Amino acid sequence: MKTLRNALIALVLIGLVMPVFAGGQSESNAAAQGGGDVTEITFGSWRVDDVDQMNRLIAAFNEEYPNIAVVFDPTTPPDYNATLRLQLESGIAPDVFYARSYATGQELFSEGYMLDLSDEAYVSERYDDGARAPWQMPDGTQFAMPLVAVSHGVYYNQDLFDELGLDIPQTWDELMNVAQQIKDAGYIPFANGLADEWDIAEVVWMNIAPGFLGGRKARLAYEAGERPFNDDAMVSVFEAMASLTPYLPDGYQAINYNDSKALFLLGEAAMWFDGSWTISEFEASNPDFNWSVFAPPAPTADAQAITFHPDAGVAINPASDNIEAAKTFVEWLSGPTASQILGNELAGFFPMVADAPTLTNEHANDFLALNNGRDLDVRFPWPKLMNGDPSGYTLIQQGSINVITGNITPQEAADQMEAGLSQWYEPAM
Amino acid sequence: MTARSFRLPRIPVWIWYMLPGLLVYTAFMAVPLFKSLQLSLYTGSGFQIDTFVGFDNYRRLLTEGEVSQRFWGAFGHTWVFFAVHMIVQNSLGLLFALLLSSEAIKGRALYRTIIFIPATLAIVVTGFLWKLLLNPQWGAVNLMLEAVGLGAFAQPWLGIEGVSLVVISLVSSWQWVGIPTMIFLSALQAISGDLFEAADIDGASSWTTFSRIKLPLIWPMMGVVAILTFTNNFNAFDVVFAMAGANGPPNYSSDILGTYFYRVGIAGEHPVGIPDMGLGAAVASIIFVVLFVGVLVMRTVFQSDGTDD
Repeated sequence: MKTLRNALIALVLIGLVMPVFAGGQSESNAAAQGGGDVTEITFGSWRVDDVDQMNRLIAAFNEEYPNIAVVFDPTTPPDYNATLRLQLESGIAPDVFYARSYATGQELFSEGYMLDLSDEAYVSERYDDGARAPWQMPDGTQFAMPLVAVSHGVYYNQDLFDELGLDIPQTWDELMNVAQQIKDAGYIPFANGLADEWDIAEVVWMNIAPGFLGGRKARLAYEAGERPFNDDAMVSVFEAMASLTPYLPDGYQAINYNDSKALFLLGEAAMWFDGSWTISEFEASNPDFNWSVFAPPAPTADAQAITFHPDAGVAINPASDNIEAAKTFVEWLSGPTASQILGNELAGFFPMVADAPTLTNEHANDFLALNNGRDLDVRFPWPKLMNGDPSGYTLIQQGSINVITGNITPQEAADQMEAGLSQWYEPAM
Repeated sequence: MTARSFRLPRIPVWIWYMLPGLLVYTAFMAVPLFKSLQLSLYTGSGFQIDTFVGFDNYRRLLTEGEVSQRFWGAFGHTWVFFAVHMIVQNSLGLLFALLLSSEAIKGRALYRTIIFIPATLAIVVTGFLWKLLLNPQWGAVNLMLEAVGLGAFAQPWLGIEGVSLVVISLVSSWQWVGIPTMIFLSALQAISGDLFEAADIDGASSWTTFSRIKLPLIWPMMGVVAILTFTNNFNAFDVVFAMAGANGPPNYSSDILGTYFYRVGIAGEHPVGIPDMGLGAAVASIIFVVLFVGVLVMRTVFQSDGTDD
């Protein structure tokens, strides 16, 4: 008995100590490669799930630049903006960090917390205007380099679709028809629920909206004040949201994002509105699960559009002691080696470089294929409608939830959007 | 005598015993409280709050459109949250204490442990556990209802306006019922056995014993429990955050002052996430005032019963 107990204690001790040794080893590796004179830079991010992948990316960087050690130091997504700001204000921020697109990024730049990258040749050479725009000030100053975008679509269970003999729906009416057939067969048509609130806005409403509103051009017209936020097209998006109600899981009011994942992954739900970032999680949870993705149906098949959203840029901290090393790393990130690794390691996050690498991940390619021949746009409220109270985001979120539960009509939801935005968004006043 | 009158008055010795406590209290309670009150008069962006705006933050909170709607919503919900705790948690606590103090019940130590166990769990564990139990698809609560033929009563408990706040309050009561139980139990056990003996000889019924002996003697303890419940509930945040999220869904119906303060003053609205710290400090200051006044009122109520010591 006693020997067994001692052996157990020894095992626990070894377990506790091992990571310490492992850590020490990798650090000494980097130092050995650098021949002693190593500059260390930290790399901040909100992608806590990507530590292993990013470390492989950094290892590839160190093959070319052994003298720059990069430490990936992520913060959880809900805390990222506030944490980063606090770090920047107190001078302990990372040297290189993930930058949010549009207003959140612009605000940090105007307060002097991001290095102006307008004159960095690799940024303008390797990224198109459209890719650079989300990380530019209104006057065109580049505050961060584009890194990756995410896509949106409708996940579907291929085996279930085959079993029920269903075709991919192209129009919203066809989607409703398919949903009814799935429901009649005893499955849940859509896995989505309302409990977490962010997903109903970001992966359902913003996923389908471009197809109903008229894509990028329509968004620009709304932003310019040429179209009111309660026109017929906007009402039709909320009508589409309301039409989902009978096809959501029982108790959808209390189904959260993880429940939705489980319902879809377990084969109880046939379809799921979501974004490309879930690819690697599904592949890891159940490699044999046979799923694919289709474009969000629109009122007519040719109106289909994809929400291809600029997710993460990379900015340099002007207060960094190692700006040159940081620039070297950022420039390398824009190169072909880095894009290749990023695109394949982070399946579902698409490198935004102009000559995008060929990806090996099948599901990532399924998502990319949706872009062919369809209008692309960013998530509707992101560029202009976030920085006021109530924000376009909140109005879309609460409007969607309330039309799905039947609290308000689609017309009322659109009217609330117009009324809420006209309180602070000047073109809408 | 004359020589003495020229000396400075002697510093009483007890001052030196108070000093460490006073320093700690000043540094960690009084100064932050004062800073927070001061911050509520300022505005600015992010963590740089440097523009003096007087009582504008309070005006916005109490009267301005969307902001005041959320604030008053959270304010009202906090009272509901408090009411459920007073009615359910503290009544059950008293009942359990009476049962546990009765000689007639066997295995009292075991029951006492069982009742107290939830209070030792971390709130995230409680939240996670009850979210699973209440899940509309695979939760045990609905499955049990269906098993006994009450499937019609199965609900998405955390997804219905009005219901979710009460359910969350009940879960919180479930977790903390051990605390009032222990306080009441210790008060009951402190009552001298002579009184019960005398009551027995006089032929008092068990109700008379309760209402004439036990209740008056534990009345001050009820005050303590009420004040504890009040302060804990008006500072509550974690149980709603763990079970429903920072927005207090659905439709802000389970939003309480704690979650509202977190959104405004600490985390900012998703996904921009930039807090309005001046406004947050105003919320915190109002919570402080409510607590201060509430505790004063409660102290008066529970002391004015003529049972002082």
